[in-house]
Amino acid sequence: MVNTIKVERAILNLTQDDLAKKIGVSRQTINSIEANRYVPSTVLALKLSEVFGKPVNDFFKLAENE
Amino acid sequence: MNTKKIMECEQKRFTKLINFRLSSKFMSVGIAIGVLSIVLMFVRAFALEGDTIWLKLLVQKTLLIGMLIMSISKDKEEDEMVVTLRSQSYAIAFVIGVVYALVMPYVEFGVDSVVTSNVSEFKNLGDFQVLLFMLMIQLLFFHNLKRYR
Repeated sequence: MVNTIKVERAILNLTQDDLAKKIGVSRQTINSIEANRYVPSTVLALKLSEVFGKPVNDFFKLAENE
Repeated sequence: MNTKKIMECEQKRFTKLINFRLSSKFMSVGIAIGVLSIVLMFVRAFALEGDTIWLKLLVQKTLLIGMLIMSISKDKEEDEMVVTLRSQSYAIAFVIGVVYALVMPYVEFGVDSVVTSNVSEFKNLGDFQVLLFMLMIQLLFFHNLKRYR
């Protein structure tokens, strides 16, 4: 799974900490998601979708080998 | 109460049990109990005389209780990733604990035989040793997984 959360965050001018607070997780979790070390649950993905105002498919994509 | 309601009720209780965690404040309580138990272990070993086997058994239990409290206490920032990391650390601790319980008696037997140069008695591990090892592995892995997340 690859994602463009960092880009979406930059568009909204949000820091990792701001985004973390908005969706109720820790900053480290946002960092891990951005670095593709952690794949979030559907609930978290939908919360991100709400913050970015875009469907989940726009910022989460399957990797080529998935 | 119909069958569906009974099933729902059981499911709710089961979920409640699975998600049970102590508040993050209990972490320091667990640490305090653990440290106190270790101190008491040293006091018993080096300062007390006479029959203190009861104290040894008591301190072993309190140490395990302290570590269990640490293990099931919530993190300060408990989110879904921390829950996942905790589950991973339990899985790793379980597997390593079983391997330890299987292999360690043979290692101890081998080392005993080499060091004392006479055939020593084969002993299985006690419950305290296995549980302590599993809890230590769980806490260490959880700490490290959080550090490298």
